[in-house]
Amino acid sequence: MEDWSSSACNLGILDTLSNDAVQEIVESYNGFCAATETLLCGAGDLSVGSEFVADVQSLCKHGLESLVRDHFLRALEETFEKNGAFKFWRHFEAYGKFSEIGDEEVQEVLCKALEEISMEKQYQEKCLLMLVHALQSYKENISEGRHNSDAERVYLFPKYQLLVSSVLMATLPPHFPEILNWYFKGRLEELSTIMSGELNDDGEIQDKAEISLNEKSKVSYRVGQMEIDECYHQGMLSENNKLVKNIGKVVRDLRSLGFTSMTEDAYASAIFLLLKAKVHELAGDDYRNSVLESIKQWIQAVPLQFLHALLVYLGDSISYDSVSSGLKSPLASRPSSFYPGINTPSEGLVRWKLRLEYFAYETLQDLRIAKLFEIIVDYPDSSPAIEDLKQCLEYTGQHSKLVESFISALRYRLLTAGASTNDILHQYVSTIKALRTIDPAGVFLEAVGEPIRDYLRGRKDTIKCIVTMLTDGTGGNSNLSGNTGDSLLEELNRDEENQENIGLDDDFNTDDKQAWINAQHWEPDPVEADPLKGSRNRRKVDILGMIVGIIGSKDQLVNEYRVMLAEKLLNKSDYDIDTEIRTLELLKIHFGESSMQKCEIMLNDLIDSKRTNTNVKATINQPSQRGAELGDTALPMDILNATIISSNFWPPIQEESLVVPQPVEQLLSDYAKRFNEIKIPRKLLWKKNLGAVKLELQFEDRQVQFTVAPIHAAIIMQFQGQASWTSKNLAAAIGVPIDVLNRRINFWTSKGILAESLGEDSNEHLFTLVEGIVDTSKNGGGNSGSREDILIGDEEGEQSTASVEDQLRKEMTVYEKFIVGMLTNFGSMALDRIHNTLKMFCIADPPYDKTIQQLQSFLSGLVSEEKLELRDGMYFLKK
Amino acid sequence: MAAVNGFSETGHGYQTNTPVTAAAPTKQSLPPAKTVDSQSVLKRLQSELMALMMSGDSGISAFPEEDNIFCWKGTIIGSKDTVFEGTEYRLSLSFPNDYPFKPPKVKFETGCFHPNVDVYGNICLDILQDKWSSAYDVRTVLISIQSLLGEPNISSPLNTQAAQLWNNQEEYRKMVEKLYKAPTA
Repeated sequence: MEDWSSSACNLGILDTLSNDAVQEIVESYNGFCAATETLLCGAGDLSVGSEFVADVQSLCKHGLESLVRDHFLRALEETFEKNGAFKFWRHFEAYGKFSEIGDEEVQEVLCKALEEISMEKQYQEKCLLMLVHALQSYKENISEGRHNSDAERVYLFPKYQLLVSSVLMATLPPHFPEILNWYFKGRLEELSTIMSGELNDDGEIQDKAEISLNEKSKVSYRVGQMEIDECYHQGMLSENNKLVKNIGKVVRDLRSLGFTSMTEDAYASAIFLLLKAKVHELAGDDYRNSVLESIKQWIQAVPLQFLHALLVYLGDSISYDSVSSGLKSPLASRPSSFYPGINTPSEGLVRWKLRLEYFAYETLQDLRIAKLFEIIVDYPDSSPAIEDLKQCLEYTGQHSKLVESFISALRYRLLTAGASTNDILHQYVSTIKALRTIDPAGVFLEAVGEPIRDYLRGRKDTIKCIVTMLTDGTGGNSNLSGNTGDSLLEELNRDEENQENIGLDDDFNTDDKQAWINAQHWEPDPVEADPLKGSRNRRKVDILGMIVGIIGSKDQLVNEYRVMLAEKLLNKSDYDIDTEIRTLELLKIHFGESSMQKCEIMLNDLIDSKRTNTNVKATINQPSQRGAELGDTALPMDILNATIISSNFWPPIQEESLVVPQPVEQLLSDYAKRFNEIKIPRKLLWKKNLGAVKLELQFEDRQVQFTVAPIHAAIIMQFQGQASWTSKNLAAAIGVPIDVLNRRINFWTSKGILAESLGEDSNEHLFTLVEGIVDTSKNGGGNSGSREDILIGDEEGEQSTASVEDQLRKEMTVYEKFIVGMLTNFGSMALDRIHNTLKMFCIADPPYDKTIQQLQSFLSGLVSEEKLELRDGMYFLKK
Repeated sequence: MAAVNGFSETGHGYQTNTPVTAAAPTKQSLPPAKTVDSQSVLKRLQSELMALMMSGDSGISAFPEEDNIFCWKGTIIGSKDTVFEGTEYRLSLSFPNDYPFKPPKVKFETGCFHPNVDVYGNICLDILQDKWSSAYDVRTVLISIQSLLGEPNISSPLNTQAAQLWNNQEEYRKMVEKLYKAPTA
């Protein structure tokens, strides 16, 4: 406004100017220009000062002071561009092309360049001051002292400042921010080394300082500083101070050149880089320790110390900073926007602290999330890392990141054909446990668990593995996984405890009270929760429930358990079922009494068997002696223990014919007779292929003990009388098909007891008893007959009960017969008619319960077996 | 004479069978009675179906119609080494509400040139009439009919022409082949 009105006046008086006046103006203007030139270009030559002042005043007299100002500033700008900026940037030209910059060199060059340009600037400011004085003294003359003496300075200096920074910005080479980064990075690393040396030197004092700092983290920095001063070694501090002062000087110089935001950007990013490196270094791949505290300590010790010292050093320029904040370049938008000038140092420091901590949390969180899969593999050893992650997530709230990243890790690394179902299940359980720590409400668990569950549903042996996990306590399983925490049995126990607690509560009958407490503790679900999945009360994280959820129904699980239990019970040689009873009781709590009823009957069978067995033997004492007189081939009754089962309640048992050796046969029928005498009218039906036989083989030079399946015993018994058998004869002798024999006899050949050779007929194999200790050495002599040994050696051994898959296959053959039956009588049928007909008429045990898709795939299986034909959507029998 | 006529125009005879079958007790005339007994009949029929499906007898089969377990369709294949070898006959079986105390009504739906089968497909077989016992079931009935094919009762024929021809097996076989029309869906 002022400029405008004055120039308007000038226009008015232009006409009234006399020739003299014009002459004077021209002369003094020429003088002024010449003086300005000499002033600015003449290095340090202020001798023209008096002339300059006179010219300025004479121009002002004619109302041309704005002209004076503008011309002078223009001259300043030109000179600065030529002398200051150009030279300044020349220093850094050399580094533009290389990404690697020597640390020391940068420091040196930067300091030198800054010094030079600062001197240039100071000189120009001196010149500017001269103009200010000249203008001021003129105004003072006119207004006789009423004029505000500072007005010119206030007006001109910011203009100059603006000019300087705009010149520099306009000529800024693109690599300059990078150079600044390098510089600060180098300085910070230096500082960090000094600090860490200090930390090592006297950790104790440091710890004390840390504690006091942590306690008072909210207290203003001054208090913190005092405590630090008390604790820190003076020598170190002075060294730090020297370093910080150097940095401070650089920062101040840069600021005065208008690089405020760029500088801040540079040291902020240097600090963040350092922090990131530190977090990575501390956290690394070690999940067994919590690192969050030490990261926080480090933030206190290094970057905050540095910032504190820097802010204190720059204390005087802080107010200046807030003035110039309007000049921030868009380049510096990111960190500066968080940090709009420092008003009070303490506040600035607190902000820095929050920023750094957030950054540390985020970095650690990202690091941990990226490695979450490994962390969970190591669970529970890695629980400190989980705990860290939990705290980080509470701070950053980026749970969704976790879910996404973890799911993709799962898909890539776990849910592949190469992973065994057991491993997947173990990982699933660990995931549940680990995520339960992070997120007790189970919201994220649901999202993460879904792909695992889906995948497991597609695996055939899932149920079997789950049941194994449920029933295998800390026994064999711990050897494999090295981790007893995986056992689901433990979960069962835990559940039981919970149930007991609930029971106690019920005694007090505190329904109302409990409801009130629940109501008071209500919290909304996390925002990430899927509203369709119901509230968190229904989503109690229950490992067993989630595991059962994979299968879909507990019935399948119970059925599989029954099969497994039967297998276990049938292989027992004593009647010790304590662990099974305990497991069953736990399962009853979880799955309800009625669904476990059949299993309970099975266990009761065993208890009854024990009693009956004793009874049978008690009545037999004298007869057995009589039997012994009959001949040495008769076996004493004591060696036989029978398991008497109520077959209706047991899973279908696989029938396999077997001719047991005569003495054993005799023993069995004797036993059955006694049983019949005691338990009229009940009769024993032997399942000769089931059970276990303990036997001892005596050779010329050794004795070997085994516990084997009856068929193995029957095979080896045949060699008692005849040292070599052809497979055909042997199969006939023990009453099994040849292929079964060949499979089973492998057990003995692998033990080195029998030797196999080709017979006369190429299809015939000849088995010969190996008398000497020939081949057993290769088996490590571990043939002392421990049970585990046998089970490993007999891996392909048949199960005594039909497995669930067998049952499924059986079901399918029923369906096949029905389908053939209906097609025989109706000629051709469409898919849905077959489906409906099966639904209506196939009501056997188990009833037809397949979906139409399952039926379709089954039918297309039959088509490919050439049993059926499919034409125009109709199925026919293949003739 | 009627029988001769019937068999001289087999196609027609077979077609005239259809209205007769409709007149016989069918699913419309025999809805599953909602008595306590019908439940046990249902069970019995279901278990018979299961037994029949699992028995795996060759040459006989039967299956309930789509929505009514009281109405079945049966299939019999002529036994080997008889004049009926290679032929296949469709039957209909309908079970009374008081089954198995009363026999099922069984008829040929495919024309069958046989001394004990008339032109409408009615069968003369003692166990389907006065000699019925509840110990019989679908399977035994079908097996009986299958064996009846090879061993007819010439003494009380429904089809006298067939009965007369029976002694000449070669001619009989030709007749069977001439009159046979494979059942369609």
